[in-house]
Amino acid sequence: MTVIGYGLAVIGASLGIGLAAYGATTATARQPEMQPKIFTTFILGAAFAEALGLIGFVLALMSA
Amino acid sequence: MGALDNLGAEITHLLAELAGKDIWDFGWGSITTYSVWIVIVLFLVFAIIWVVKSRVSLVPKKGPVAAIEATVEYIRREVGYGVLGHKEAVDKHMPFLFTVFFFILAANLVGLIPGAKAATGAFSATLTLAVVSFVYFNYYGIKHSGLGHYLANIAPKGIMPGLNILVWLIELLSLFLRIITLSVRLFANMFAGHIALGAFAILTTLFVTPLIQEFTLANLGGATPAIGWMLLIVLMYGMELLVAFIQAYVFTLLSAVYIQLATSEH
Repeated sequence: MTVIGYGLAVIGASLGIGLAAYGATTATARQPEMQPKIFTTFILGAAFAEALGLIGFVLALMSA
Repeated sequence: MGALDNLGAEITHLLAELAGKDIWDFGWGSITTYSVWIVIVLFLVFAIIWVVKSRVSLVPKKGPVAAIEATVEYIRREVGYGVLGHKEAVDKHMPFLFTVFFFILAANLVGLIPGAKAATGAFSATLTLAVVSFVYFNYYGIKHSGLGHYLANIAPKGIMPGLNILVWLIELLSLFLRIITLSVRLFANMFAGHIALGAFAILTTLFVTPLIQEFTLANLGGATPAIGWMLLIVLMYGMELLVAFIQAYVFTLLSAVYIQLATSEH
């Protein structure tokens, strides 16, 4: 059951990281010279989205 | 499916192994194996930086010295000038950020050596790091704008009266949530990576064990999935090397963002 819960939590996080990567790639394609800045922003956004999925992982382990 | 019968027991054993053992228990706390690894990593970082510092010269060198110089320059450019902005702030906060970055990076990489444990794989260790970062950016925020002003600046300006108290409370909560997200992100990334590596290793051994006990053609066929699991270990190891760098970078970057938010005018 906890594994199913973690799977549900990961759907949101993966969508978020996917959207961030999509935005980063399109932005880099438009303006390659801004790549370092865009990469930093992408990592930041991905980190925030990822944190939620990881909290789900830790909660799943704790209640297992 | 005899191979997978022991999987549950082996995973439980792996989790117990990763939990860390008490070496010396004194009432309100204890020295665990992770504490020992923290000290080892600290000395390792000190030693490496000491050696590199003595070899730094105007003429660029090759090898490890150049690698560390390039890392330092990258962090200074992206995190320092990219987030903190002006040179004064970069010079002021970079020592702290570099300390955090190299400690986490060394701890993550040491954890990838078989037999060694990552100091960042214990929640208490990452919680301590996050609390240090939290105290640091709050200290400089309060020093920059004064306690009353700093507390008032937590919430954005221009919200209608009545509602702004609610927003302020939510923002205060999210300020304290930064400790949790900083520590849980680092801990869960390292912990999950170690569990995945351990699980793949267990699966490999489970499939190979019958073959070692008795060499028959049937056992040889039964052992073929082990090749796949072994390839997965190699892939996961490469992935973990990447994660070790990215998580150290993310922790440093977020600390810099929080410092910048705390010390900038609203």
